[in-house]
Formats: sequence, structure tokens, C-alpha cells
Amino acid sequence: MGIISRALRNLSRRKTRALLVIVALSISLSIMVSIPAGLMANQESTSAMANNLGNTITQTSQSINQTLSQIDVSMSANFAGFGFSQAATPSPNTNDRTGGSSSGGSSSGATGPQNFGGFGGAGGGQFGAAAGTASPMNQSLYSDIANINGVAAVEEILTASQGSSNRTTTFMGRTFTTLIVDYTIQGIPLVSELVDNYSILPTNITSGRNLQAGESGVVLLSLNNSKFFNVGVGDEVTIVNETFTVVGIYSPSSTENIQSLYMNLSDVQRITNNTGYITSLKVFTTNSEVVDSVASSISSLHPELSVTTQQDRLDQLQRQQAMYEEALASAQSSLAATEATAIQEIIVVVAATSLIVLFVMLYTVRERTKEIGTLKAIGFSNKVVMGQFLVEGLLLSTIAGVVGIAIAAFAAPTLSSLLLPTVGTQMGFMNIATGSATTVTLSTTLMLEALGAAVLLGVVGTLYPAWRAAKIRPAEAMKYE
Amino acid sequence: MSKPVLQIENLNKTYMLGKRPVNALTNLNLTVNKGEFIAIMGPSGSGKTTLLNMIGCIDKPTEGTVILDDINVTKTPEDKLYKVRRDKMGFIFQSFNLLPYLNARENVELPMEGKIKSREERRKRASELLNLVGLSGRENHRPQRLSQGEQQRVAIARALANDPAIILADEPTGNLDTKNKQEIIKLLANLNLNQGTTIIMVTHDTNAAMHTERMLLLKDGKIVKEKEGLHLAKKNSKCPHCGAPIKMTDDNCPACKKPLFQTDELFAS
Repeated sequence: MGIISRALRNLSRRKTRALLVIVALSISLSIMVSIPAGLMANQESTSAMANNLGNTITQTSQSINQTLSQIDVSMSANFAGFGFSQAATPSPNTNDRTGGSSSGGSSSGATGPQNFGGFGGAGGGQFGAAAGTASPMNQSLYSDIANINGVAAVEEILTASQGSSNRTTTFMGRTFTTLIVDYTIQGIPLVSELVDNYSILPTNITSGRNLQAGESGVVLLSLNNSKFFNVGVGDEVTIVNETFTVVGIYSPSSTENIQSLYMNLSDVQRITNNTGYITSLKVFTTNSEVVDSVASSISSLHPELSVTTQQDRLDQLQRQQAMYEEALASAQSSLAATEATAIQEIIVVVAATSLIVLFVMLYTVRERTKEIGTLKAIGFSNKVVMGQFLVEGLLLSTIAGVVGIAIAAFAAPTLSSLLLPTVGTQMGFMNIATGSATTVTLSTTLMLEALGAAVLLGVVGTLYPAWRAAKIRPAEAMKYE
Repeated sequence: MSKPVLQIENLNKTYMLGKRPVNALTNLNLTVNKGEFIAIMGPSGSGKTTLLNMIGCIDKPTEGTVILDDINVTKTPEDKLYKVRRDKMGFIFQSFNLLPYLNARENVELPMEGKIKSREERRKRASELLNLVGLSGRENHRPQRLSQGEQQRVAIARALANDPAIILADEPTGNLDTKNKQEIIKLLANLNLNQGTTIIMVTHDTNAAMHTERMLLLKDGKIVKEKEGLHLAKKNSKCPHCGAPIKMTDDNCPACKKPLFQTDELFAS
């Protein structure tokens, strides 16, 4: 009959009380576990969010910097019709500044630029002219743009949309024919100066790899293109009349045309019979300050061109940036507030737990005064009596600790969102921000720490009652009830 | 000449009742020899329980010495007294004071816990003692399943656990009906006779007192009278009414049928 089995018998002797105390203690202990669990989840998701937002902010900053120093140049709509009649015979004459464009499919081995229904304009594939065509530009006429002071690089782009059927619409008594586009070919110069320094290619490659400088005869497809052609990485695909090898497939971003496939400019020029012609230019300036002066230099050199800086896009990006920064700041400040709340609640729960143990054990000692007196009269030492009660308090809080952890294992998410109001909502928002679900989970370490805390609180709460028990005089045994 | 197991010299105990000192014991002297069976009687407040507490080392005298089995317990420091209580003393209480959540055997084992290491040995001795007090076969019963007389027998077995120098009994029959009273007192008398156990018993019950060898009357903290008891177990006693020989188990005289212990005016006059 040892101290522990006696303690167990004492607990089972008053089952209802033991049960109530265990329930009360386990609830407070489960709260004690849930708060740090919720807080940790909150911290995790905030740091994930901070990370994520940090990346987005960096990307946006890069995007802003790039956008700031970028100018889109294409043939002005006013001049598109200008070269209409000369379409078949482009000449190196400097007066002939525009290439021709004709209705779809009229290529017949002509040396001039051919139009396959319409050339997509720069910056998102709008069709340039009212007739649904973009105007080709003679490459050699615009080589002087690269020499303008402040220009770092010029990307020459040839965009050609391909379609197999036409849609006819009648508007104000006139009939318009529009090509239904199957895919849009983006021809860009695969030179390392551009490929390495500017983001001229899609970045989100889902399989295979991106195009590389100096490559020819290869193509990068969008997910849509890959479905349209029913090909994958490594397959061959026929574009217009030539066979290309698919090196990669990308997932278009919000600013990229989902039907765009990318290949080397010279390949596109060759297959579309547009050698020496392009549809747009992207001018990269050395820095954002010179954008306006470069733009006006281009305009004055080539009045027929439409020159666009991206002030609107810039504003949008800056608003986005500000929003991200605000979201991050608010997440961080709400985390700080949550931490403060958590600390206060933990203090309350710790105090409540030790007070429960304290009062229950004090009551028990009082109730068993005669028993303690008897034990001392028959020769029990103070140490043994004190030990007896410490073991009882410890046992009670350890059982409650285990039960409390079991409760917390199930109820931690609910409890923590109830106790730390920001946890639930905040995390919902962060799940959106981070794209991954953050959940309140109990780590083994946390559970062990909680059990340790329960045992410790049991000892702290029982210390005084046990000391009181040890001080009971043996003469109490003589009192007749 | 038996060796004295207890020597009390010039014992004084003063309580403070508010600011007024109350003398519970005044210059009390008492010597108890080994194997004696003594009854301490007296009206309420005469100091009986105080005296028992002094002997039992559960209260300290204001003055005087108590020497128990050659140990001066009045000089023993508080933190060593539990050993004296455990090894030299056996307490029997009016309300038995058994632990309700322990069975009879476990209750008897309690005082041995600090003394006998082997659990087996403790169990064996507890069973032997329960057998001695007539409770063999009831070892596993908890107190609430035992009659009051049986509970007091368990308490007596517990008091004997460490083979003490003295058994101190505080009104051991005070809570019992007539039949159980007789049985418990006979058990104590027989233990005294057969085991040579020294017993000091505080009692109001004159019938019980008559079973002892020596009866002391306490009044206002002093021993005012001392009488010889019948100790029917020890002496070949005769009926105080008709002179016929009587036995330990007799409640009434086998010859004249008069009750043997109607000595209500024991200390009268």
C-alpha cells in the first residue's frame, strides 16, 4: 500500500468531485494548450503571408521598375491605311514607311509582308486598324530608335494571328470580316542581350523549359496552344508551313495572351513571308526618368508611330503595391494584438488552474483533518503526510492534463478562434493571400510542455494545502465527530 | 519488581484560554510498570485526555518530564517524535479512526510502513494481528462493512502493529453498545494478560475500568484517588456480592446472578 495507490483510492472515493475537478482543470488546460497552438498557427500564417507578400512586393517593384522604363511603339492607326496599296511591294525606300496589309490569306509568294488576318498589336494583342489588322513596320527604317539617347535596348516584335475561319458582321450597311483566331505567334529576337536582361518571355513554365538565346526552330506554347495542337514537350508541331519542336509549355499570366506561342523573330518572319518586317517595338530605356524624353524623341523622329508609356499600368501596380504593404502591416499589428491577448488569457488560465487545485486540495485537507491527525498519531512523519497530498494533487492535475490535451487535440482550432478572435478571420484572409490552408495543430512538443505545465501547476496549487496538512496536530485525531 | 515503562514527574500543563491561564495538569506524578493495565477516570475537564496526549507525545507539557521506555520524550525534538509515536506507542481512539478507503489489513499495515520494508512481511504481520483480535477472514473488508465492535478490533490490531511499549486508549468503549463494550474490554484485558501489553485507558465507563488492575481518578489536573481494579482476567476473582468464584467471561455472578459491574459509586465518598 504505497502513497500513490492511497492517493488513487482517495480520488476514486469521491468520484463526483474528482470528476468535476478533472473536468474543470482539463477545460482550463485545454484552453492553455489551444491558445499557444492558435498563436503559433497565426504566427506561421503571418510569416507565410509576410513572405508571400514580400515576394509579391519585390516582384511588383521589379515590374514597376521595368514598366517605368518601358515604351511600347507600334504603327499609329492613322497611318495604317497609308500603306495599304503598297502592301505587295514593300521597298527599302525611306519614304515607304509602312508595310501593306490585306485581307486574310492572300499570300502568293510575294516578297512583301503578308497578313494572316491581322497582326496583333503590342501589349495585349489588340488589333490595330479598324479592318482588324496591325500594320507591319519595315525593320530597317526604325533601327535609328536604338541610337536615341537614353535607350538601353529595343525589342523587335512580329505578331501574327492565325485562324481557320472568318466571322462576318454587318455594321451600318457595311460588311466586316473578322478572323476567328486559333493562335497568335509572337516572334521575338532570341538574343542574349534581351533574353538575359529583360523579361520578354513568359515566366511561368509548367513543363519543359523556356526559350533560350540563339535558338531557332523551336517553340514555346501556352497551355491553350498545347491543347489546340494536341502536343506536348518534345513533340513536333506545324506552324503555318514549317515544323517546330516544342521545348516548353507556359501558363499565361494575367497580362499575357492565352493564345500566344513564342518563337524566334526570324522564324516568324520567314514562315509568314515577312522578312525584314515587324509589327511593334518595345523600347527599354536606361532608367525611368528618361522615358518621357525618349518617347518624345521617338515621336519626333517617326511621327507615324504610336508611342505609349505605361502610366496607367504603373498607377495600378503602385496601388496594388500599397495594398499589399497595408495588408502586411495590418497582419503584423493584428498578430501583435493577438499575442498580447494570448498572454493575458494564459495568465488568467494559469491562475484559475492553480486556484482550482489550491481550493480543492485545501478543502480536501480540511475535510480529512481527523484522518491526518490519526496518521500522525500512529507515527507518520510530516514529510510523508505532505508527500501524500502532493501526490494526490499531482495525480489530479496529471489526469486532467492528459484529458485536457485530448480535448485540445480536437477542439484547439475552435477554442483558439473563440479565444483569439483574430485567429479565424485573419487566417481565412491569409489562406487567400498565401494560397495554402493554415490550420491550428498541436505539436508533440506543445503537448509535452502542456503536460509539464499541468504537473507544475498541480504542485504549485498543492504545495500550500500539503504544508497545511503536515502542520495538523496529531491531537486532532482525538476529536470526536 | 517490574521495570517502569513510564515515569511522569512533576507534570504541568497550562493552556491559555484567551488571556486567562488554565491549569489542565498540576504537579502530576505517575509511574507505570511494564505489563500494567491502568484506567484513568474523572469528570470532563479533569485533564484525562491532556494527560494521555502528554504520554502519547502529541502535546508538550509546560513543565516536568515524561520518560517513556527510557526515552525522555519531553526533550525529544519535534521532528523525531513521530518515531517515538510509531515505535513505542499504540493509539486506540473512541471513534476508531480507521481510514475508510483502506481495508482492515491495510489499516493495520499503516504504522508498519515506515518501519518494515518488506510488503510481504507487513501483510503477514497484519493478518496475524487481525487473527489475534478475532477478525481472521475479514482482512479484505473495508470499515463500512464491519460492525463498530469489529472496527475497534481493527484499531486495536493497528495499535499493536509495531509491538509498542504502551497502548494508549482514549474511551475505547465510548462508542459501542453494551455487548461490544464487554467484548472490547475483555480483548484488552486478555491482551494485557497473555501478551503482557501495557495499557493505559481513559474511560468514563466504570464497568470497563473494573477490568483493569489500577484505577486512577483525576480531578482538576491531579490524581486524587487510586483504587485496585478487579482485573478478572488476571486475578482469580470472586463475586463482590456472594463471594462465589467468577470467570473473565462472566457478566453476572454465576451463583447469585447479580451483575458483577454495577459499581457506579466506584469513586463516591
